[in-house]
Amino acid sequence: MAKRLSARWRQVLGRHGPVICVASFMGLWALLGPGVAATLLLPAWVIAAQLIFVGSFEAARLRRRAWLGQYLDSASPWHRWLRGGLLMALWHQGLAILLALLLLVKLRLLPPVYWPVLLLSLVTLVLVQQLLRRQLQRHVIDEYVAALVRRLLVWPAGTLLALLLVLTALWLPQPYLVGLGWEEAVIRHTSTTAGGGLLGAFERFGQALELTQYWAMQNALERHGLGQGLAVFGWFLLLLSQSAFAWAVVRLTVGADALRDTLGHLRNAERKDAP
Amino acid sequence: MTSMAEPLRRVPAAYWGLTLLLVLTLMLALGYGYRQLQERSEAPLFRVVVNGEALILDGETHAALGQELSVLSGQLDLHLRDEMQPWLDARLDTAFAPLEAAIPEYLDWHFSLRGSYLRLAVALGGDLDEWLEAQLNERLLERSNIAAALEELEADFGARLIEVQQRVVGEIGSTLQTRYAPRQAAARNEDELPTIDLDLALEGMLQGRWDEARWGAAGAGGVVGFAAGRALTQRLVAGTAMQGSRALMARIAPRLGMHAARSVGTGAATTAATAPSGPMALLAGTAATAVALAGFAGTEYALLKAEESRYRDDMHAELELELTRARAEVRQALEAAASDWTQSLERSLQQGIHDAEEAAQVPTQYRILGSR
Repeated sequence: MAKRLSARWRQVLGRHGPVICVASFMGLWALLGPGVAATLLLPAWVIAAQLIFVGSFEAARLRRRAWLGQYLDSASPWHRWLRGGLLMALWHQGLAILLALLLLVKLRLLPPVYWPVLLLSLVTLVLVQQLLRRQLQRHVIDEYVAALVRRLLVWPAGTLLALLLVLTALWLPQPYLVGLGWEEAVIRHTSTTAGGGLLGAFERFGQALELTQYWAMQNALERHGLGQGLAVFGWFLLLLSQSAFAWAVVRLTVGADALRDTLGHLRNAERKDAP
Repeated sequence: MTSMAEPLRRVPAAYWGLTLLLVLTLMLALGYGYRQLQERSEAPLFRVVVNGEALILDGETHAALGQELSVLSGQLDLHLRDEMQPWLDARLDTAFAPLEAAIPEYLDWHFSLRGSYLRLAVALGGDLDEWLEAQLNERLLERSNIAAALEELEADFGARLIEVQQRVVGEIGSTLQTRYAPRQAAARNEDELPTIDLDLALEGMLQGRWDEARWGAAGAGGVVGFAAGRALTQRLVAGTAMQGSRALMARIAPRLGMHAARSVGTGAATTAATAPSGPMALLAGTAATAVALAGFAGTEYALLKAEESRYRDDMHAELELELTRARAEVRQALEAAASDWTQSLERSLQQGIHDAEEAAQVPTQYRILGSR
């Protein structure tokens, strides 16, 4: 019984290992002290960027392959030339690095209230993934099932998380910024606990961005004279930042999953090569 | 294996390396940019000369120093009081000790046969208060040499105040120096920085107010002189003499009046009885009065003596109390003068800093005492 239970646990862990890893990575990063976090910025950034990159690069190649398969003759060498090489990798690397930075900074600034939301959406993501896999298994070529599930997962999971994050942000108490000038609001409410390093600067920048968004929303609502432009700007900033964060989280999770698959493929290939 | 795993099998390590490279490059570039930005947007630097050392401080640190300086100079009064109080107490003790020691001697005289008769005579004949004042002055104050002692105390107080002040101000300077020397900013072009000479302001505060200090001490001295001179005697008389011997005298007066009335009355009755007999009647009246007075001198002296010996302890206590009160007043006057002076010093320090910052053209938001 116990053996079976532990086997089951191992199975669950094996299947959901990436999600658990990602969740603990994010939690650890959020809990680190400012000094430790500043020194660990480089490895954390690299890991997060690489995970995001793996997922998005896989999706991009899948997309490209489908497109090429649509038009190119199957014997054409263009398949190899156009399948996506350094340029695509660089583009996705850049995107992943920026997203990872946003993710890391946002995680450092995240109030604890957000964590249940994050964990809830990660669980939902896992459930949706299982559901999708079960649905797609009968219809999709085996080789592509996992990749396609991941590809289809990004949008619903990202949208859900973004929605939850926006709602939480609106529900949370905000600093009272009505009637303050923008500069004053930013200076008064930006904390200096983050330290003087690069990460501290990023955190302050993130705080300033958040404050700007609150400031724009509050002052546009209160001062009718200030106009709709400010309100639109505030909402735009709120939606953009929260959905970018949600996108990054989902991409990170999906990327971890993709990396696990890749490593599994590699192990299989080695095993096949070995005998 | 699969065609998709084929490229991926080769790439992961390369991609990890690429990510690392890109992130490193980005971090270096951003770090450099951030440092540049920080330097450019950094608050202007100031050179603050304090305790003989020129400290290079950025705007925030300068403002912090300013705050600390104003807190410290706000406590100047307190510090000075702490420093001056034990000294002043000790000096007042030594100054008033001979006076207190002279009290029993005075009382001996006061209740001596001669003193009592003299007092009685004066009480009968003239202004007792004035005479008592003169006696107290001569026998108590002049003999104990309190005036000279107080004068000396007053002069010493001024000197001591200036000395302590200098030390406290020097301590402020060294405190600020030790606290802010490690918080200096690095500057490339030191000579172009606006220089605020706090030493100059602190010194100027003392030197500019030297005359004022003398004036302040003189003001206090006026009070001291007043307390040590006639005012004190008057108070001693008003206090002790009133409570002690004067109360006695007041008690004596009705008796005197009664005796006088009786004697005069006797005289008058004799006069009336012998009215028709002319000059003889006047003679008889006068004789009767004289007899009555002589009777008084005998009985009243014994009464007086008894009552006075009863009052001696009280008088002693009251004299001492009055001296304590006078002492407290002298002390208060000196302290008030010191406090006045300290306040004017603070004002002049603020003015000095203001002038120094004005001269250095420090922008208003970085000024030590705010925009005034």
